[in-house]
Amino acid sequence: MEFQAVLMAAGGGSRMTDLTYNTPKAMLPVGNKPLMWYPLNLLERVGFEEVIVITTKEVQKMMSADPKIKQDVKMKLEVVCIQEDGDMGTADALRHIQPKIKTDILVVSCDLITDAALHEVVDLFRAHNATLAMLMSKAHEFTETVPGQKGKKKTAEQRDFVGVDESGKRLLFMANEADLEEGLSIRKSILRKHPRVHIKTGLVDAHLYCLKKSVVDFLTDNKSISSIRGELVPYLVRKQFSKTINGQKTKDDVEDQNQKKSDSKLHISSRDEPLLQLAQERSCWNDHRGDMSEAYHGGKLRCYVHIMDQGLCYRVNTLAAYIEANRLAPKLFEEPVVHPSAVTSERCQIGSDSIIGASCQVAEKTSIKRSTIGNSTTVKEKVKVTNSIIMHGVTIEEGCNIQGSVICSNAIIGRGADLKYCLVGNGQRIESIAVFQLKECVSVFVLN
Amino acid sequence: MASKGAKQSRSGSGVAGRKGTGDQEEEEQPLLQAVLIADSFNRRFFPISKDQPRALLPLGNVAMIDYTLEFLTSTGVQETFVFCCWMSNKIKEHLLKSKWCRPTSPNTVHIITSDLYRSLGDVLRDVDAKALVRSDFVLVYGDVVSNIDISQALQEHRHRRKIEKNISVMTMIFKESSPGHKSRCEEDDIIVAMDSKSQRVLHYQKTQGLKRLHFPMNIFHSGSDEFEIRYDLLDCHISICSPQVAELFTDNFDYQTRNDFVRGILVNEEILGNQIHMHVTKDGYGARVSNLLMYDAVSSDLVRRWVYPLTPEANFTDQKGQSCTHSRHNVYRGSGVSLGHGSQMEENLLIGCDTSIGANCHISNSVIGYNCTIGDNVILDRAYIWNNVHIASNVVISQSVVCDKAEVKEGVKLNKQCVLAYNVVIGPNISLPEGTVVSMHHPEEEEEDDDEFLSDDGEVGQSQDKTKQKAFNPAEVGAEGRGYIWKASSLDDTEEEELSQCLWGLVLNPDPDSDSEASEPDGSSFSSDPCAAVFSCAVFQIEVLGTLQRGLEENIGCDNLVLEINSLKYAYNINMKEVLQILTRVVLDFPFQQQGPQLTTPQYAALLLPLLKKWAGVFKNYVKRAQDHMDCLSAFEEYFLEQESHWGAMFKILMTMYQLEIVEEEIILRWFSQGATTDKGRQLRNNQGVRMRRQAEGHLWIEGHAGPA
Repeated sequence: MEFQAVLMAAGGGSRMTDLTYNTPKAMLPVGNKPLMWYPLNLLERVGFEEVIVITTKEVQKMMSADPKIKQDVKMKLEVVCIQEDGDMGTADALRHIQPKIKTDILVVSCDLITDAALHEVVDLFRAHNATLAMLMSKAHEFTETVPGQKGKKKTAEQRDFVGVDESGKRLLFMANEADLEEGLSIRKSILRKHPRVHIKTGLVDAHLYCLKKSVVDFLTDNKSISSIRGELVPYLVRKQFSKTINGQKTKDDVEDQNQKKSDSKLHISSRDEPLLQLAQERSCWNDHRGDMSEAYHGGKLRCYVHIMDQGLCYRVNTLAAYIEANRLAPKLFEEPVVHPSAVTSERCQIGSDSIIGASCQVAEKTSIKRSTIGNSTTVKEKVKVTNSIIMHGVTIEEGCNIQGSVICSNAIIGRGADLKYCLVGNGQRIESIAVFQLKECVSVFVLN
Repeated sequence: MASKGAKQSRSGSGVAGRKGTGDQEEEEQPLLQAVLIADSFNRRFFPISKDQPRALLPLGNVAMIDYTLEFLTSTGVQETFVFCCWMSNKIKEHLLKSKWCRPTSPNTVHIITSDLYRSLGDVLRDVDAKALVRSDFVLVYGDVVSNIDISQALQEHRHRRKIEKNISVMTMIFKESSPGHKSRCEEDDIIVAMDSKSQRVLHYQKTQGLKRLHFPMNIFHSGSDEFEIRYDLLDCHISICSPQVAELFTDNFDYQTRNDFVRGILVNEEILGNQIHMHVTKDGYGARVSNLLMYDAVSSDLVRRWVYPLTPEANFTDQKGQSCTHSRHNVYRGSGVSLGHGSQMEENLLIGCDTSIGANCHISNSVIGYNCTIGDNVILDRAYIWNNVHIASNVVISQSVVCDKAEVKEGVKLNKQCVLAYNVVIGPNISLPEGTVVSMHHPEEEEEDDDEFLSDDGEVGQSQDKTKQKAFNPAEVGAEGRGYIWKASSLDDTEEEELSQCLWGLVLNPDPDSDSEASEPDGSSFSSDPCAAVFSCAVFQIEVLGTLQRGLEENIGCDNLVLEINSLKYAYNINMKEVLQILTRVVLDFPFQQQGPQLTTPQYAALLLPLLKKWAGVFKNYVKRAQDHMDCLSAFEEYFLEQESHWGAMFKILMTMYQLEIVEEEIILRWFSQGATTDKGRQLRNNQGVRMRRQAEGHLWIEGHAGPA
């Protein structure tokens, strides 16, 4: 076994407004499948047989009840629960499962929907004997109007700066614009090693990481790191060029303490098996041109990134991304538009870009376009649904017009309601003939 | 659409502005012009350039300006303006004799001389004033050696100018050359930030002497999402300029160099709206001979044929008697070269006409000029021997320049980076140390004829008369030697001269900061500031001291003190361990802070003990885990290591701390048995300091070893 897969599915989805009020992010339906099904499927497709799923008790319960995960996922899922309110970061979670980790790991976030070829990332990891390899993708512009948000929300001006070398693979630095107020400053010695630095903005981190086992061991020694993306990755990227790894300095007690710390870092990097090292010495291969120094300039800690320029890669962590993902989900997998167990009247129009879930009932004279209808949902006569996401167990009474909205599970939409760009919370009831134009009505329903 | 509009407006308005008539024709086939600056406006080549302007110094036995002109001609320049200042007569004379001034020359050369030029800026202002250029022109220095085909860059430049009129004013030509490459000039080391898509220069900086390179944030706000930071570029000092460049120099009279200009344009990009673009060539060759190291590098590149088709045997200057033959190992021989028995011409060697070489010589990687005589058993490596030089037998020369008519007598050894200027005689039997420069000009004459920089060479003769009056020092130049050691420090101290102390320039340093910067702390290697941490600790210590003083005066309770210290901790971002160490230190130092350093040991102890009692609560709040106890003790130890004279009080303090349950017995014992890291620490534990003994009741006793307890 080369890799152990770890799925991080404990996140609450704090950026998705009220969508995750009742449903944890991992279980939000996307194309009538729970969100976490997608990364699991990704792992299964590349041949993983076991996955460690880090999640909360709540999600575990829902997982065991969810038919998709029970039937579709053939991998052995080893569910590890962490405290819900424990404020545990992703790195904390890794530290938590450290005893289970026997090999290098592949960490995936539960909100990743991608058709990326995973082997590209893993190959980088293998080829360069890297400490970290990760996946990034060009950021997408979300064009759909988002319920509850007036106009186009300005994307946050704080861009991530990612520096890669000439080949576009070696990760040289990462920084957020917010931390760079005083400008970007780079050590000359780094530039001497990597004279051509491409700085890219407008990339999203897919939160998919290959990590050496020693990184997990390192985490157990360094309890201060709590998040992979926020702390561990930037730390590793920086460490590539810090010389403490090779420096042998002992001074006073304070320095000693540092030394202890750097010993644990040393651990990260000195895992090169002697054989590999010998091979590198004997080989005439080199990773750079120009100067005559050894490959990688003797650096032992290396971070790589695969940047997708084509294909689909979404992180479903905002409402906009959620809607976009639902729109695209039918295209990802060839599945019948209408689930066999759904009952649809013959005199209704269902677009081929829609999905009708199991045991749905769709009555006459309805039209459903570019929408997802969840399981056990009842749609009565003369209902028009366009560009919307209807979750499970929703009842839509006659004559409703629903456009660009998200309706959470078990909601009831009263007769003749007209909803445009609305978000209807879990189990809410919309009065008959209510008209909600535009996007303001979110919290009204949820807070009730 | 935009270009269409521009075109229409152009034809609509007819002839544009100052360009005069015939604009329309030029639009189709503009005459390519060039401005060649045959002056360096600095004294890097002094004292060599005291007798000969830099542009005429021989490189591979051809004057440097000929390479530049050949480059311009081959790239399609039809009209060149050569601007000379220093020794303009010599340059003019040289050019008039050369093939460039023959009627058949495809490149018309105009020579413009003036003593008033003091910088590139002056020249370009003059270009503007005389309205010499009508369209885009190439700007080069007279010491650029290049074979780059700039036609593509020119096309791109024109295209950009067409699409966005008057936005892009300049295209700079760079050559790719990785750090560590020989032809990279350390003084001219640059970093460029560019927009990957539009090739626009966003940031341009000389990096010499910088360890950290800083990029202001505003360069990343240009709307692009991909940038490139390039440190693998060599500035060829070739730029394609629009006529606007000359105007901009006129508008900004403080622009002296091209560097000023580029920085000015980049900084004022938002205001003026002008942009600079760049073109990077992978396979061309282009370098400026800006110091002798570059001279060495370019010469050897030339002999190794990197500047093809400008090779020594090509005789592109078309001068009679300059032809030579090329044989393997890059050995070039002019006509009439005679070689003595047993002499070896190893490799990469150019020997000019009518030079004779004696027996048993070893010559490699060198260039030898015309009419030189070289004796027997001479070893030359990376030697640049100019014309009419006499070298006697048993001479060793490595990486040195010997100028015209110099004489090296028997048994002389020139170590690396020596320079023998014109007419110098050295020897016999002397070894010149590394970096020696010998000239017929006395260094002190420099001040007398400082104005000479402006004047033409007519006065040089005069000054030579003066120098003859001063005696040569045989210890420096040998018994029969003639010449003075040129001391670089005598150069005047104008700004640009700062780095030019050495004729040879800075040696390429493979990786100067990799070792010195070795122990960068955990902080980010991109924007860390190790000083800040130290600084904030120091401020924190002062603040804690202040808090405790106030606490004592106003009788503030321990809980409130803890609150205050905690808030300070956050304010200065200090970790727990440092808090503990600083707190311990401040408390121990407290009596001295209050009463002054003259306290005796018993006084000190008497003052400190009540304080400890008072603040035991504060300590207890911070000292919780075993590690905290250790930290506290190590701070204690550290403090007393500095206060040797008060070791007597130590046991009492430790005892009190133990009794107040600030530190635990076991930890004290562990600390004691842990062993010291320094000799002094051991002393502290053993000789002078404290001794510990566990008594039957299980109490810990700490006993003064030195004094009676």
